[in-house]
Amino acid sequence: MLQIKGLDTYYGESRVIAGLDLTVKKGSVTCLIGRNGVGKSTTLKSVMGLVKTPCGQILFNGQDMIKMPTYNRVKLGMGYVPQGRDIFPQMTVQENLELGLQPKGGKGEIPHYIYELFPILPQFAKRKGGDLSGGQQQQLAIARALAAEPKILILDEPTEGIQPSIIQDIETAIRKIKTEKGITVFLVEQYLEFVLNVSHEIYIMEKGNIVLHGATKELDAANIQKILTE
Amino acid sequence: MAQFLNTVFNGLSLSSIILLTSLGLAITFGLMRVINMAHGEFVMIGAYMTYLTQRIFMAALPGSLFSMYYFAAIPIAFVVTFLLGSFMEWAVISRLYGREIDSLLATCGISLVLQQAARHIFGAQGVNVTTPKFLSGGITIGGCTFSYNRLFIMLFVALILFAMWFVIYRSNFGKQMRAVMQNRPMAQCMGINSRKADNLTFGIGSGLAGLAGCSVALLGSIDAGVGQNYIVNSFMAVVLGGVGKLLGTVLGSSIIGFSGITAESFTSSSIAKAIVLLIIILFLQKRPQGLFTIRSRSLDE
Repeated sequence: MLQIKGLDTYYGESRVIAGLDLTVKKGSVTCLIGRNGVGKSTTLKSVMGLVKTPCGQILFNGQDMIKMPTYNRVKLGMGYVPQGRDIFPQMTVQENLELGLQPKGGKGEIPHYIYELFPILPQFAKRKGGDLSGGQQQQLAIARALAAEPKILILDEPTEGIQPSIIQDIETAIRKIKTEKGITVFLVEQYLEFVLNVSHEIYIMEKGNIVLHGATKELDAANIQKILTE
Repeated sequence: MAQFLNTVFNGLSLSSIILLTSLGLAITFGLMRVINMAHGEFVMIGAYMTYLTQRIFMAALPGSLFSMYYFAAIPIAFVVTFLLGSFMEWAVISRLYGREIDSLLATCGISLVLQQAARHIFGAQGVNVTTPKFLSGGITIGGCTFSYNRLFIMLFVALILFAMWFVIYRSNFGKQMRAVMQNRPMAQCMGINSRKADNLTFGIGSGLAGLAGCSVALLGSIDAGVGQNYIVNSFMAVVLGGVGKLLGTVLGSSIIGFSGITAESFTSSSIAKAIVLLIIILFLQKRPQGLFTIRSRSLDE
């Protein structure tokens, strides 16, 4: 579904990612993990087209989109939840959700299952997005990314700064999205237990490159832990 | 009583004129944070468009239709300034986003170029627009005369304000526009073409200046510097109201308008100007962010 080949990413003049190769299989939950500052979020931003990527290929269902502007990539069927959630603070929860429909031209209805996934959203429909707590904003951001029924959902540290009960909800939501809707999930995470629970495939990143990669079942958790903490 | 009514009416009238020239700024400066020093020149262009439309009607159409020129002038002024603004955003402003001082200087230069161009085309002498028949005269209530053209400007402002509210808060484009202004990268991640949104937004702001020019044309003679007379008050209104809030601009204009007229009824008009400035300075000392502020959890962090 998503294939990254020989990708270089720059912040200004400095190269953050060098020759990255990574594949997200259709219908899988693929995790990219690593310590702070190794380029995990930057990888996601490269996929979205928010940073400079002069070399490499990013194929989405076989189509190279490295030269496309962000707003056209999204229309191919990508839903993105950034690290800071990036809810529009002065818009209501409802408006934030409806913005999720923009890839389809702002028309249509929000799929009903989203409200079942996150039942708090209708209660807060009229509240300003900026007034919600971190966990509520995270749920809203995921719902917003799902509104246009994407083929792939891209999540940047969905558990960061969120209380355990909501992490549980998010975990359940990711499972349901995958099994019931068949949406592929690509996520960046630091919380190892969560990753082991939810993913099929794991990529471990260090200094802008992949150091270990394999199916979650086959990887040794203790070994991953060692790489992450060393 | 008549004195009081008069003051209220004049205050309302001045406020509505300031508001009219401020609305475009509320968009380009308030929402987009571009300090467009050439905004006054868009007002001037709108006024000249009104003058031109009048000349065309005078030359080409029978006299009975003459008063109708004003209705033609309104869309013409909007479209011309909209296109100019959109072109200017594409050619200059879009290359200077995030560089406020540079865009201030560049637009200042554009302002001078436009003024000189107007002098070249229309001459240094001011020109006048004949007030359409249905707007000349006025109505007298309780010893006060309310002139029709000032009443018309109030109505005009109210209509524009409603249209703006509708576009910004009720239309799909408004939603895109607000999203882009609040968080550009995230708006792009929602599939919004932010370049297009920027360009249209700036065009609308400029078009509103052109509409303001239409009514400024009714108030006095038009020359190359006519926009400059209004622009200072407009910037003050937007800053006083709190940058980024439509309601703030409405209140900011009213405060400047009413305090100006009230002070004028006690002293001379130049002292009144000084008093208004003093009020604004004192107020901004207390509340540098203006009357209304945008606050939310994510912005406080």
